[in-house]
Amino acid sequence: MTEHKLLVRRAAVLGSGVMGAQIAAHLTAAGIPVDLYDLPSEDKQRSKIAAGAIQNLTRLKPAPFASKDLAQFITPRNFEDDLEQLGQCDFIIEAIVERMDIKKSLYEKIGPHIHADAFFVTNTSGLSITELAGVVPEALKSRFCGVHFFNPPRYMHLVELIPHPGTDGQVMDLLEDFLTRNLGKGVVRCRDTANFIANRVGVFTMWSTMYHAQRLGLGFDTVDALTGPAIGRPKSATFRLADVVGLDTMANVIRTMDAKLANDPWHFLFQAPEWLGGLIEAGALGQKSGAGVFRKQGKEIKVFDPASGDYRATDYSVRDEVKAILAIRNPGEKLAELAKCEYPETEFLWAIHRDLFHYCAYHLGEIAESAREIDLAMRWGYGWKLGPFEQWQAAGWKAVADLIQADIDAERTGVEAHLPKWVAEVEGAHGPGGSWSAADGAVSARPDLPVYQRQYQPVRLIGEASHDRQTVEETDGIRLWTLHDDVLIASLKTKMGVIDIGAVEGLNAALDRAEADFEGLVLWQPNGPFSAGANLKAAAEAIQRGDYDSVRALVKGFQEVNLRMRYSGIPSVAAVRGLALGGGLELAMHASRRVAHLESYMGLVEAGVGLLPAGGGLATLALQINADVAAGDTWPLLEKRYKQVAMGQVAGSAMEAREMGYLRPEDLIVLHEQELLHAAHGLVRSLSAAGYRPPLAGRTFPAAGDVGVATLKMLLVNMLEGHFISEHDFEIGSRIATVISGGEIDRGTPVNEEWLHHLEREHFLELCAMPKTRERIGHMLKTGKPLRN
Amino acid sequence: MSDAYIVSAVRTPVARAFKGGFRNVRPDDLLAHALRHAVAEVPGLDPARVEDVIVGCAMPEAEQGMNVARIGALLAGLPDNVPGVTVNRFCSSGLQTIAMAADRIRLGEADVMIAAGTETMTMVPMMGHKVAMNPKVFDDDNVAIAYGMGITAEKVAQQWDVSRADQDQFAYRSHQKAIAAIDGGQFTEIRPYTVTSRVPDPATGQVREIETVIDTDEGPRRDTSAETLGKLRTVFDAKGSVTAATSSQMSDGAGALVLVSERVVKELNLNPLAVFRGFSVAGVPAEVMGIGPIKAIPKVLQQTGIAKDDIDWIELNEAFAAQALAVMRTVELDPDKVNPLGGAIALGHPLGATGAILAAKLVHGLQRREQRYGMVTMCIGTGMGAAGIFERV
Repeated sequence: MTEHKLLVRRAAVLGSGVMGAQIAAHLTAAGIPVDLYDLPSEDKQRSKIAAGAIQNLTRLKPAPFASKDLAQFITPRNFEDDLEQLGQCDFIIEAIVERMDIKKSLYEKIGPHIHADAFFVTNTSGLSITELAGVVPEALKSRFCGVHFFNPPRYMHLVELIPHPGTDGQVMDLLEDFLTRNLGKGVVRCRDTANFIANRVGVFTMWSTMYHAQRLGLGFDTVDALTGPAIGRPKSATFRLADVVGLDTMANVIRTMDAKLANDPWHFLFQAPEWLGGLIEAGALGQKSGAGVFRKQGKEIKVFDPASGDYRATDYSVRDEVKAILAIRNPGEKLAELAKCEYPETEFLWAIHRDLFHYCAYHLGEIAESAREIDLAMRWGYGWKLGPFEQWQAAGWKAVADLIQADIDAERTGVEAHLPKWVAEVEGAHGPGGSWSAADGAVSARPDLPVYQRQYQPVRLIGEASHDRQTVEETDGIRLWTLHDDVLIASLKTKMGVIDIGAVEGLNAALDRAEADFEGLVLWQPNGPFSAGANLKAAAEAIQRGDYDSVRALVKGFQEVNLRMRYSGIPSVAAVRGLALGGGLELAMHASRRVAHLESYMGLVEAGVGLLPAGGGLATLALQINADVAAGDTWPLLEKRYKQVAMGQVAGSAMEAREMGYLRPEDLIVLHEQELLHAAHGLVRSLSAAGYRPPLAGRTFPAAGDVGVATLKMLLVNMLEGHFISEHDFEIGSRIATVISGGEIDRGTPVNEEWLHHLEREHFLELCAMPKTRERIGHMLKTGKPLRN
Repeated sequence: MSDAYIVSAVRTPVARAFKGGFRNVRPDDLLAHALRHAVAEVPGLDPARVEDVIVGCAMPEAEQGMNVARIGALLAGLPDNVPGVTVNRFCSSGLQTIAMAADRIRLGEADVMIAAGTETMTMVPMMGHKVAMNPKVFDDDNVAIAYGMGITAEKVAQQWDVSRADQDQFAYRSHQKAIAAIDGGQFTEIRPYTVTSRVPDPATGQVREIETVIDTDEGPRRDTSAETLGKLRTVFDAKGSVTAATSSQMSDGAGALVLVSERVVKELNLNPLAVFRGFSVAGVPAEVMGIGPIKAIPKVLQQTGIAKDDIDWIELNEAFAAQALAVMRTVELDPDKVNPLGGAIALGHPLGATGAILAAKLVHGLQRREQRYGMVTMCIGTGMGAAGIFERV
């Protein structure tokens, strides 16, 4: 065991159920081969159950594997024949059925086979870690704790880490490091209380929501309209979330809460309503059974109405007065308006917020080290924009406390629970020095584990100190700043990092500054995605005016700044996370290197809006195809790359982006989003240290030429004849074929980027002038979805 | 003019491409296997007397490139003096070779000829490894050269009004007939092939050799029903009617026939299986290539003077149910005479080998059933049809 990190060469996951198998899949993305265990089968293939689970992973949506290739790194095992193999695993996570007796007998069975330095943890959501530790063999106890992943584990950032009293403190630190650095997760340490933190607060919220909805006579559809994005929560809101989780699971969870939280003042909420039992009895268990609170009938989705006991058409409309209140920007004013309870909807919204704040404050000392853990858990585990304490603090700590107190005084809360004293003693849950710990009666600073030094600009909670950024220059389009050193960081100021004339000017300014005064340049967006692409709206307006000259100038300017970056004497690194689409991807493709978060979604999607990549994207692909197929036939790769662009495919992960050529073999993939800047910054440094030399400008390569165009068109002809694409798709596809092949010229003729850029521009502009392309652009701007005309 | 007598006709089983038993078996090895058996089954024949080995192959490149005919002949152990030539007319290649071999005998230029076909669709894909279209294809009316075969089948279905339900039923029947034929032991022309695969055995550090005998066609599905087929999605045209199940299967296989002159029949006292009566080939528009036999069948009947009703057994290659039905309806073929043992939808279609395989199937079948005339016919990519007539003796 080293001091600072846990090096996992091989891991074992015990239990190949939905969580276990998906955790195994995510471990492979972290470069760790996994043994996946389950019960032996009577079959000749003894590990058939685990093998079946691996098979199933390749079909599951959203995809648990970051790349299909990873499935081979999970080996199916069984608890009878393969126990010896366990000895080779450094990290063993148990995820079998949630039954103390079954877990106990498994622990006894595997105990002797686990090697002395291995970490043995359980992924439980319901059982007490301390009770489980009681059945863990003595030798393993100090290295045992709870590691609670959220479903789906690849995509949900939160992992709750729960020690029992005998867990070694260093083990906890090493695990936190490993889960953060290697698996890219957001770790929240919890106490061993019922349902830990996220589900304690999350399930309470759901039940309090259901209670108030019933009390105020609001339909399930209305509740979902009010409790989703309208209040900073995911679209699944309340009842759709219940359907996703499964109504039977919901009922189980509530039984656990009922049994374990007898002294919780809100205990009266933990009773399954009658309609829930009815639905479960009828087999309507939610998404997995095709019906639950919602049911799809043909193309229509219907909602269960407890009053009639039947499904009816959904109605997500919200009355204008309530909409107006929800639209208020100032969170304090908004909450105060809601608290007036003029309408059932506002009374409902106030009540669920009041109860949430009240509940969290009341239980803070018992369930969490500080308010930070609760807020991060709700952001990362439930996808809330802000945690409960942040919402409260944003709305005005004192004012909201007074509103809650008024309701308590008037006995409107329905519980005998006072606001804890500390609420009145602090200015907020979070401050520059840290977050309030009710248990300690003091402010608790952020953990100072080495792994967090790698997060240069971590998520900040409302009230925490803002990041230290030394601004060098700021234009309309870009902010240039540093971490007080010789690497320049450029952040586009546009929404979603979209590229417009200001962004192009800003990128030129960034290169001016970087070339003059810095070792290199990092392209990094502090909030949100790398770039959703070109600013379609501005382009559409120019096209509408018939102002093709300005479109041409924009395209040319973008091509030029991309080339300038590629051939600059200083290294540049694009730090990509989230979307990198269209022009955004073209920008990244022209940096010296790319560092991408695993959850990056890259694609040249211009065809969807009737256009083609004209920022050097097609030229870059053509150049790379020739570099990658140094000898031999370029056709198979040309065909693959062509289809990606013509069909506007988007990579489902950074690993897929590598398979698609958007990331190059020398580019890096990081698992933790917040380590992206650290990695990109470090890469600029190391490129500079190695005496950075840009690629030689002006390279020529043989064009696929007229035969390339014809062969690609053969694909299109068959799709057109087969009604898989429209005439306009054919038009766009033909032009993409023409550009990527270097035009209708003799096959093998040497061409260079300049020629391909010319083709990109001309075909882009010709497409712009076509009515069907305009329709596509208009439709995208209006609906956010591509039009297939 | 001497008649050309078929004195032996054999084939390998037809394996499914990619996952089937021949996925690692080379086409030249499959060919050599068929050649060896074909020659060995002619009693008293000195292999050195073979005048030429003509082999059909539709994508003659890579593993089946470099004149696979000569390579296969040498691998089969035929003497050095026996030459070999590869011919290609896509799906009719294996029938074309019989016609060419028969011609040499009928002209008196040869006494002993071998006609064969071999194809592995596992190793060499449709259109070959390197596709390179002529840009002129898109300049004028030749765009159909670029059409995939599935699109041409859709066009046939549309223009000849072949319904989805009829195609599904036809495909289902093909499987049923093929299964009955397998169970009834009717594929007597098959010569089983023993595949030796070598895999590493990490436990012992040795290479393990596993021998598998492939003796049955792999394509037919016992679990299929017309209803299941009806649920499949169309694959070539979103608004069309042709599915994977109403298309021929991609396969690997080979077949070979020995043809001799009357003189050799007498000299070696042979019992011929059949006489090759005649062959025709004709062109049709490329975009409806599937209807090729509509032109080829009447042509060969007229040429040979044999009446359509006198043909007892017709092996009509089922490239697609749509084109097979269009041909049967237009030429008015008796469904009971067409593909009595099932067709390519069930049994597979190893492109250039198919002609030889169907001929072997036919001449043995005519013997068993004591029928007189049989025909092998097929459509051909880029718009052609071929037909050949055999007479049992």
